[in-house]
Amino acid sequence: MGAISARGLSKTFSAKVKPEGLAASLRSLVKPERRLVEAVRGVSFEVERGEAVAFLGPNGAGKSTTIKMLTGILHPSGGRAEVLGLDPSRRRVELARSIGAVFGQKSQLWFHLPPSDSFRLLGAVYELDRRAFEARRDELAERFGIRDYLDVPVRKLSLGERIRCEIAASLLHSPAALFLDEPTIGLDVVAKREVRALLEELRADEGTTIFLTSHDIGDIEKVCKRAIVIHHGAVVVDESMKDLKHRSLAKKLVGVKYARPTAIELPGLEPVKRTADAARFEVDTRAHRIEELLRALVELGEVEDLTVEDESLESVIAAIYEDGAGRKE
Amino acid sequence: MDLSIRGRARAYATFLGASFSANLKSVLEYRANFLLQVFGMMLNNAAFALFWGILIDRTGGIGGYSFEDVMVVWALVSTAFGLAHVVAGNVRSLGDIAVRGELDVYLLQPKDAFVNVLCSRTVVSAWGDFLYGYLVLCLLPGLSAGRLLLFSLLAAEGALVFAAAFAAAECLAFFLGNSRSLSEALHEFLLSFSLYPEKVFDPGMRWAFYTILPSGFIAFVPLAAFKAMDWGLVPILFLVAAAYMAASYALFRAGLRRYESGNQMGTRL
Repeated sequence: MGAISARGLSKTFSAKVKPEGLAASLRSLVKPERRLVEAVRGVSFEVERGEAVAFLGPNGAGKSTTIKMLTGILHPSGGRAEVLGLDPSRRRVELARSIGAVFGQKSQLWFHLPPSDSFRLLGAVYELDRRAFEARRDELAERFGIRDYLDVPVRKLSLGERIRCEIAASLLHSPAALFLDEPTIGLDVVAKREVRALLEELRADEGTTIFLTSHDIGDIEKVCKRAIVIHHGAVVVDESMKDLKHRSLAKKLVGVKYARPTAIELPGLEPVKRTADAARFEVDTRAHRIEELLRALVELGEVEDLTVEDESLESVIAAIYEDGAGRKE
Repeated sequence: MDLSIRGRARAYATFLGASFSANLKSVLEYRANFLLQVFGMMLNNAAFALFWGILIDRTGGIGGYSFEDVMVVWALVSTAFGLAHVVAGNVRSLGDIAVRGELDVYLLQPKDAFVNVLCSRTVVSAWGDFLYGYLVLCLLPGLSAGRLLLFSLLAAEGALVFAAAFAAAECLAFFLGNSRSLSEALHEFLLSFSLYPEKVFDPGMRWAFYTILPSGFIAFVPLAAFKAMDWGLVPILFLVAAAYMAASYALFRAGLRRYESGNQMGTRL
């Protein structure tokens, strides 16, 4: 059963345009010029219940705008969205009871109050009865390891502790779908790992649909099973993480270091980096056989070190961003 | 979930109670600041009472107001103004919140965004305004339970009109972008006009006090009702306040369709 559906979703903003200079400022006072900016252009995708999807794109691609339309914050200029069977722009309040949202840059916890007070207020916001609220709060406190600082004002918590509390707060009402926008921004590696594990556990245990945007490849790899990439407001890739990772297998990074200076020349393959005794190649495995390449490198001289690496997922995603619509599938 | 009208009313009452409690706890985190601001505001208001006392002592009355009338108006306006900002502390920040794209957190919650955003903050100094009105009332002759109750009802009605008018002025930000100076001017006009006798103003501009700058329903009519102990005017005034609130709400809803959100870092204080 579908959890999230976007069909031809688009959002256009009207932005004021003003060339530089005082004269332009004065002209703009009398006759302001505006131009339409298409933040999202006909985005379509479906997300099943219980799926964990990464929603990716470079800055300004339209990720946050899409999430805001899916959660009812913004009204689409065109197309249709449906989340858990509801139209977010028409039935925002009803939808808000069934979804949770974590925006890494926006807190829903009260800065001067301990998380326990914010949790209590959120219990009232979501109309949880006292017993159900306390049971859920205790369960989340246990699972997220936040029991010890539930009574400490948020301003005194570390960022990692705060984010854990933020996620716990967004789960108090047991949402069927969770939207996360950069949830691990600013966290150290340990805190990031903990947050990812918690999200994975949540999906497995409660079947929560996870819709995640992040610039952190680790978040995407660890939490999501599918990736949707948008660029310039349109979907350019929608495939499983397995397939996305497979793209990285199509390219190998081969490094070689010789014991002494060697003329490193291979027919049909130019190194991306070369010194007197070392070189690094990016090899398209569809055009070159790795085995033959390695044999040729060994035959060139006395090898001191030889490495073969897959292209990183980060590079694959960066290439998709750079290619933009050119790699649309 | 109880979807009956009573059920919804109870849920909203619980939510508003929890919100009020969180607001209060948040400002009480800094006790010294809270007490300083509350008593500072009461002292500030008292200074104006002194000024009016001297003025009326010399002139014998202004615009048909005696010193007691002035004090009742100050008490009513002060408590109404205070109550509006104590309960709905974002009533004069709504425009900035909308312009900065910070309504997201309220739109993600299953509560009416207008009520949610307005009531998610309390203004510390407004507690001083709120208490000052009652202090003045206690110092005036003829204090009784009836006068106290009527005063409270009239102040509550005034608070609704204040909140509706301030919020409507703030909603201009949805349509005009940064409208801080305009909304500030409207706030100042409304407050200032409410604190002076109606008759000192030109008759040609008095229509404004019963339309766009509703001082008439915050100060002038409530003063008449209080002086005459006219309980019959209370429901009428509440109907008027409800109409202002409905208009303000409609403006907010229309503005919300133009809301553009934002990506600033934000936190709830």
